[in-house]
Amino acid sequence: MAPVPWHIVALRNDQGIVLRGFPFGEADRVVVLLSPNSGKVRAVAKGVRKTKSRFGGRLEPFTHVDLVVYEGRNLGTITQVSVIEAFPAVRADLDRVLAAGTMVEVADAITHEGEPALRAFLLLQRGLKALDAAPRHPDLVAAFLLKAAAVVGVAPAFDHCAGCGRREDLTRFSFAGGGVLCENDRIPGAIVLRPGLTGYLAGIASADLAALPASDPAFSGEAMGVTRRFIEYHLERRLASLTVDG
Amino acid sequence: MFEAPIQRLIDELSRLPGIGQKSAQRLAFHLLTVEEVDARRLAEAIVAMREQVRLCQRCFNVTDSAECSICRDLRRDSSLVCVVERAQDIVVVEKTGEFRGRYHVLGGAISPIEGIGPEQLRMRELVARTAAEGVKEVIVATNPTVEGDTTALYIARILKPLGVRVSRLASGLPVGGDLDYADEITLGRALSGRRDL
Ligand SMILES: [Zn+2]
Ligand SMILES: [Zn+2]
Repeated sequence: MAPVPWHIVALRNDQGIVLRGFPFGEADRVVVLLSPNSGKVRAVAKGVRKTKSRFGGRLEPFTHVDLVVYEGRNLGTITQVSVIEAFPAVRADLDRVLAAGTMVEVADAITHEGEPALRAFLLLQRGLKALDAAPRHPDLVAAFLLKAAAVVGVAPAFDHCAGCGRREDLTRFSFAGGGVLCENDRIPGAIVLRPGLTGYLAGIASADLAALPASDPAFSGEAMGVTRRFIEYHLERRLASLTVDG
Repeated sequence: MFEAPIQRLIDELSRLPGIGQKSAQRLAFHLLTVEEVDARRLAEAIVAMREQVRLCQRCFNVTDSAECSICRDLRRDSSLVCVVERAQDIVVVEKTGEFRGRYHVLGGAISPIEGIGPEQLRMRELVARTAAEGVKEVIVATNPTVEGDTTALYIARILKPLGVRVSRLASGLPVGGDLDYADEITLGRALSGRRDL
C-alpha cells in the first residue's frame, strides 16, 4: 500500500473480528483484525497493555468490534472501539477456545491486507457464533476447514472423481489432486479412505456450521485428520494451533 | 555512526524492550558523563545478577539460592498455590498483602492461536507439586487475556480430577483503579470476583 501523504489524514470507520495482537513498544499493541471490507487490518492500540486502558478486553482475539481508525503514514491508530459481539462462552470453555484458535489461525492464513474478505469474514463469524451457542460439535473444526478450502477455491471433491467426474469407484483421496479420485485417475500419493469416510466428509462439508449432522465417533477423528492434512497441503504450512488440540 | 565502543553500547541497549535507537543513544551518552565508578557499578550489577540469580527449584521464582524466600518461609500455607505467568507477577500479588500461600511460575501462557501448548510451560511440574506438597487449592492469576483464560481452563481440567479446587483470581482492575476507564468486559470479570473453574 502506498503511504498516505501526511496532509491527508483521515478517520475511517471499519469493523472486524480480532485475530491476534502482539506487543508494540512500551504499552501499545498491534492488533490484527479481519474486516469484511478491507481484509486483514493492522492497527495500533495505544496504551492497551495498561490495566487502566479504556480499550480493556475489547481488542482481545475472537471479539467482533466496530472501530474508528486514524490513518497514519504506515500503521493506523485505533481511536474508538465498541463491541458488536464478544462470544463470551467461547472463552469460558477449553474445547471451544482451542477450536476458535484454529478458526482464527486459518482465517488469518487465507486472507490478505487490503483485499476485501467478505466470505472469509462471514465464515469466521459463523464459526464463532456456532461455538458460542453450544458445546463444541466434534466435527465443527473439520467443517470449518472444509469451508475455508471452499473460500480459497480448493474445495475437495467428495461425490465425483476430481479427475474425470465419474461418481462410481471413488476409492482414493488425493491432497494434490483435489479430492476423491477413481481407480483410473489415481495419482501417486493418493491415499485409500475407509469405506464410508468420503460420504461422512461430504456431509460435513455441505452442512451449516450451526446445524451439523450428528457426529459418528468411528469417523470423526479420521475426518479431522484428512481435512487438516488437506488444508495444510493447500496453505503450504502446518497449523500451529492444532498442536494444543486434543 | 559513532565511535566503535559507543556504537557497541548503543546496539546492546537498543535490544532492550521498549528502548529505541534514540533512547539508546541518550543512555549511552549519559553513561559517558557519569563518574567511571558509577558506570562500573551498573555493569557489575548486570553481571552479578546474571551470575547469582537462578530459578527456585520448587516454584521457578527468581532467587539466589536453591529455593526462593517464599518457598523457604514455613509460615506460608503450602496447601494453597497461586499460579502466575511470569516471576515478576509474584510481586503484584505479594503487594496486596492478602495471599499467604505459595506460587508457581509457568513461564508463559497457552496460546490457542500461536500454538504454545502446555508442554512448553511448567505444567508438568505444577501437577507433580500438587501431589507431592498436598496442594488443596490452586488460584490461577494469569493475565485477563485469551491466553490467560485458556491456561486457567487447562489447569482446571487437569487438576480438578485430582481433587484440587481451582479458582481464577479476579483481575483486570487494580485496587483503586478508575472504574470510568474500565470497559464492560473487564469490569464484569472483576466484579464476579475469584470464582471456581
Ligand atoms: Zn476419474
Ligand atoms: Zn520458590
